[in-house]
Amino acid sequence: MMNAPDNIAISVKDLTVGYGDNVILQNVNFQVRRGEVFVILGASGSGKSTLLKAMIGLYPPLSGEVWIEGGNLVAAQEKERLALLRKFGVMYQSGALFGSLTVLENVRLPLDEFSNLPDPLKEVAALARLKLVGLGAAADKMPAELSGGMQKRAAIARAMALDPRILFLDEPSAGLDPITSAGIDLLITSLHHFGFTFVIVSHELPSIYSIADRVVMLGSCTKGIIAEGKPTELRDGAADPWVRRFFNRQPDPSHSVESS
Amino acid sequence: MTTTTQNELETDVEVKPDGRARVVLRGRLNEQTVVGCWGLLEKELLETKVVTLQVDVSGLGFCDGAGMSLLLYLNMGSMTPRATVSVFGLEADHEKILRELTFNDHEAFHPHPAIKRDSFVEKMGRRVRQMTMEFHEEMVFLGAIIATLPASIFHPKRSRWTETRRIVELAGANAVPIVSLMSLLLGFIIAFESARRLAEFGAQLYVANTIMVVMVRDMGPLMTAILLAGRSGSSFAAEIGTMKVNEELNALKTFGLDPIPFLVVPRILAGVFVTPLLTFYSILMGVIGGVIVMLGLGFTLPLILHQLASSVHLNDLGAGISKSAVFGVIVSAVGCWHGLRTQQGPSAVGLSTTRAVVTSLLLIIVADAVFSAISFLLK
Repeated sequence: MMNAPDNIAISVKDLTVGYGDNVILQNVNFQVRRGEVFVILGASGSGKSTLLKAMIGLYPPLSGEVWIEGGNLVAAQEKERLALLRKFGVMYQSGALFGSLTVLENVRLPLDEFSNLPDPLKEVAALARLKLVGLGAAADKMPAELSGGMQKRAAIARAMALDPRILFLDEPSAGLDPITSAGIDLLITSLHHFGFTFVIVSHELPSIYSIADRVVMLGSCTKGIIAEGKPTELRDGAADPWVRRFFNRQPDPSHSVESS
Repeated sequence: MTTTTQNELETDVEVKPDGRARVVLRGRLNEQTVVGCWGLLEKELLETKVVTLQVDVSGLGFCDGAGMSLLLYLNMGSMTPRATVSVFGLEADHEKILRELTFNDHEAFHPHPAIKRDSFVEKMGRRVRQMTMEFHEEMVFLGAIIATLPASIFHPKRSRWTETRRIVELAGANAVPIVSLMSLLLGFIIAFESARRLAEFGAQLYVANTIMVVMVRDMGPLMTAILLAGRSGSSFAAEIGTMKVNEELNALKTFGLDPIPFLVVPRILAGVFVTPLLTFYSILMGVIGGVIVMLGLGFTLPLILHQLASSVHLNDLGAGISKSAVFGVIVSAVGCWHGLRTQQGPSAVGLSTTRAVVTSLLLIIVADAVFSAISFLLK
């Protein structure tokens, strides 16, 4: 364990990620401060989800380090790694709820596996998390009976089951209508008040303006970070014209309709 | 009053004889301290009938989700039924969570629904109706295949031969190693078992006849079909089932393409083509297995070959091979049928695959029994 500065939750150092010889991201460096909503942005195929999966230990990086709450997830041995995994929760793009369990059972599953709480408290804990995301009434439903937005809310409740301080969300607003998407933004903002640190992969601009404290933008050509800062600052004053176009939703003039 | 200090949490519990109780929590209320605190509260609060319960948490320096669960549980009155409970001293955000989860919310997940049991007649009726509907759907499917197959055969340009060739390779060529091993060992087993019995009558030479008759008329077609049902029928069901789950079948339909000629016919044509070939190969390998055993028993190769040639007629081989073509249709059609019927959900494809294999095996055995009966009656 390393003593990280008090205000740093995650530190990514010289991270290179890829599959075999295909390097997707090279020498990526950034830090996520405790209690902030940090968004990873980029064009489709720029490696946003790959970076997220490397940060949560699903993809072993080719080189580099990922420090979470003072522990290096890349180099951690089994016991320390399990302890580090308890420090964050993950919501996957599709929700990834277990289809054979009810929503309440989905949220209760990590508690049953890892918590020493008495059984009645496990149920109350799971129910409280569902209430927190506005799904108290759907607790005994099966995931297939929920809408896309509700599935994502349930997945966030499950990610919070073991009281992590960090939540990773992969495309929380993707595929949702604007009202449901705004509801997810509101949920993230309200959970933010409880002190959670959020790392979110997204390219939904309205959401980003609404929730993000800070963003990093990945570039496909550079295989790394091309911009970092507050979304409004990048929109108005980013040095890279591509970044400004991204935030202002303007097409690339070098691309004709045919070429795109 | 009972005061307990454990792992950074101090718990004071005071229960008066008139039913008034007061709990004071100070320090850190987290997963580690909640477990001990729970035991103490259960012991103190369940002993007496509590009328009012006050929980003072103003001295808490830290309270995580596990701690909140304990406070929620107390606040809902789950530990002190019918008592008036008040929890005070919480931060505003936590207070909001506490107010939102009520006893009724918790109780809603312990409903006692009246269990409605169907009568025997209702169960029978429902089952018969379901079977009738399934039979109807199966007949529609069979009819669609019968209507489509001639067009595919007589108008070859309309057929998807590239797809058919791919399936022939997957179901046929790639199955050769496993068919070889299985048939060779089958030949060994039949030869060894029959040799022991026939030796008692001094008729070990007839091991050759036994192998030839058994492999050509029954075991060759049957074992090949069983292997194909497990290997290719299941794969057809899984492949088409996954396409259905991924809405690829809907995409086909919106293009105006019918899944029967597009997906089912190539698989049936491949099944009809591949199964007889594999069956012939299986018979050959089974007989080779038997010949190896007979050579080991001391018989000469010309004598064995003479016995083999005299034991079956060409008609027997024809019957075995034509039977295998029917088995091929069964395996392909059943696999595709269950693939097309796949429902939504994570276990749907697995269920379709299982059903495809079980139904194929059952129908293969039924068809084999019918063939045996017909062949007996014709003689």
